[in-house]
Amino acid sequence: MSASVSTRGGSAAVWMVAALAALAVLSLAAAIFLGVADIPIADVVAVLTGSGSSEARSIILDIRLPRIVTGILAGIHFSLAGYLLQTITRNPLADPSLMGVSQGATLSVTIFLLFTVYIFQPGSNTLAELPVAWLPAAGLAGGMLAGGAIYLLAFRLGLSALRITLCGVAVGAVLHAVAIGLIAGWGSARIEIILEWLSGSLYARSWDHALFLLPFTIAGLAMLPVIYRPLMLLQFDAPVARSFGLAYRRQFTLVLIVSCALAASAVGAVGPVVFVGLIVPHLARFLAGRNFILSLALTIVLGAIIVTLGDLAGRLLGQAEEIPIGVVTAVFGVPLLLALLRKTM
Amino acid sequence: MSSRQSSLAIGLIVMASMLAVMLGLLVGAKPISIETAFRVLLAPDGKIESILVWTLRLPRSLTAVAGGAGLAVSGYVLQTLTRNPLADPGITGVTSGAVAPIVCCFVFVPWLSPIYYPFIGLAGGLAAASVTFWVSRGGQGRPLQLALGGVSISLFLGAITTYVLLLTGPQSASLLFWLAGGFQGRTWSHLAYMLPWTITGVVGALALRRVIGMFMLSDHAAAGMGLQLGLWKPLILILAVIPVAGVAPVAGPVAFVGLAAPHVARLLKPQGTGWEIGLSAALGALIVTVADVIARSVAIPRELPVGIITALLGGPVFIYLIQRGQLNLAGETR
Repeated sequence: MSASVSTRGGSAAVWMVAALAALAVLSLAAAIFLGVADIPIADVVAVLTGSGSSEARSIILDIRLPRIVTGILAGIHFSLAGYLLQTITRNPLADPSLMGVSQGATLSVTIFLLFTVYIFQPGSNTLAELPVAWLPAAGLAGGMLAGGAIYLLAFRLGLSALRITLCGVAVGAVLHAVAIGLIAGWGSARIEIILEWLSGSLYARSWDHALFLLPFTIAGLAMLPVIYRPLMLLQFDAPVARSFGLAYRRQFTLVLIVSCALAASAVGAVGPVVFVGLIVPHLARFLAGRNFILSLALTIVLGAIIVTLGDLAGRLLGQAEEIPIGVVTAVFGVPLLLALLRKTM
Repeated sequence: MSSRQSSLAIGLIVMASMLAVMLGLLVGAKPISIETAFRVLLAPDGKIESILVWTLRLPRSLTAVAGGAGLAVSGYVLQTLTRNPLADPGITGVTSGAVAPIVCCFVFVPWLSPIYYPFIGLAGGLAAASVTFWVSRGGQGRPLQLALGGVSISLFLGAITTYVLLLTGPQSASLLFWLAGGFQGRTWSHLAYMLPWTITGVVGALALRRVIGMFMLSDHAAAGMGLQLGLWKPLILILAVIPVAGVAPVAGPVAFVGLAAPHVARLLKPQGTGWEIGLSAALGALIVTVADVIARSVAIPRELPVGIITALLGGPVFIYLIQRGQLNLAGETR
């Protein structure tokens, strides 16, 4: 976990933040200006300043912007959740998708979609819209439940970093198998919706999704000053942390809850976008060295940037059949993960 | 357990499996009575019961028997090879390595005869296992490394598989059912197609039991006993993937059987690697056959995929192993 540079000086940090801010602005601009629908730059600017044709307005304001905002929020959620998980489990490879949280959210979303089909489909099509609004909430509940189950399972013999990770892997594998089984057994009517969601996608995300995520983003970021000091101590062994006066178990649980809530809400809104929570914190720590607060800040900014750029790449590369962001992150994340896995352990 | 007790145990498990197969003949959307089942088994008469038993239920149950035995032996060999109790075709990425390229072939190269699928599965499973082993230093690093390496490869292949399914549209329903792992609608030809691969895996493991047994020692000790590691490690890995290459095209990924069966077999403490392999195979067959019967009797007239049942049965074994602290927890900190 230790980066090559021990401590960044103040001016280096300032430059890095400035460079990243520029990158963030650039990727945001690219995400707004580029897309499958070819809209001239002047028209985009017109829309952004309040005029423009109605067609351009609807593409920018109702399709691209909500999608970008949802992506930014989800990126922040995944990367921050990964950072918190990695810190408290002292496992540099912790990630919501490796710890069972994503699979828990996946299972509950699947159950939710299937149940609404069975309850509401016969004879009525108005109520079938229910899932779209409640889907993220279902994902949130499932992810939190999975996180709680893993916590309880690992807790019996003390909060060992190894055990909590292995329990995450086990619970995740079981939940995933059950989810796939349910889709196969009952999914016929909704397979495509579930699959689209399952591959982790920002396709057709609306302002509703962004609004669903926003309270969690705000709450998660607001918790940071509260958990900041405990988080620094949670990097150490429990006895060491306790000797600094840390209520280890309580703080561990608190950070775990924040992390699960961030990850689970994001999975609920955009599906399991894998490896963002794993890779971004590493990147941030690499850039920030041992500057804890800088690495935390970079994690948040980089999470937003990477999801924005990944989604843009998926939109442009796939053209009509766009490549879901979850596939993009999996393809780029895995080689990095494997290299890290071999290096760090 | 002595050899006599071990053979007795295997005999009992085989009998239990036969009972489960028999039960499988009776249970289903149309229940069949025991007398009828016996009658049509001995003298097929072309009536509906006879057709149900002979063309649907019997081949299906026997496919489950063969598949379970193959998966269990694969798990046993992987666990011994890596000296890692968590190794299993699912956890090490072998299963998804076999399944993902088959999905891709099915979708993108539909004219390719399914006869080649086991070879594709073998290549894919070997590739995925090699990456997992490379990451976890031959599987003998910490159990965490192996588990995370395998799970991340599975996630990677899973993301690609889901995307391919998304592109296929309506066809994806049948692919998905296969991806959930199960034996619904499997016929004699499926069994014949799978059998050479599972038999090769099981017989090969039994024949090479001495070599496999040596891997229980450290690499160092095995080399000291004259084992050529550079030759045997890859060969035994191929042997472990062969049965999965046969099962995957027919039944899809059936989770956790390869993990649970060898562990239960070892709990019985048979003496000798050969007996452990035999017991694992018998237990694997029993677990999958029972899971298959459960899968089609809990939600009549619908069916659950067997993968759900085996995951629900095998997942707790995995968690129990972690809780028991049966792992090499060297270097673990609290």
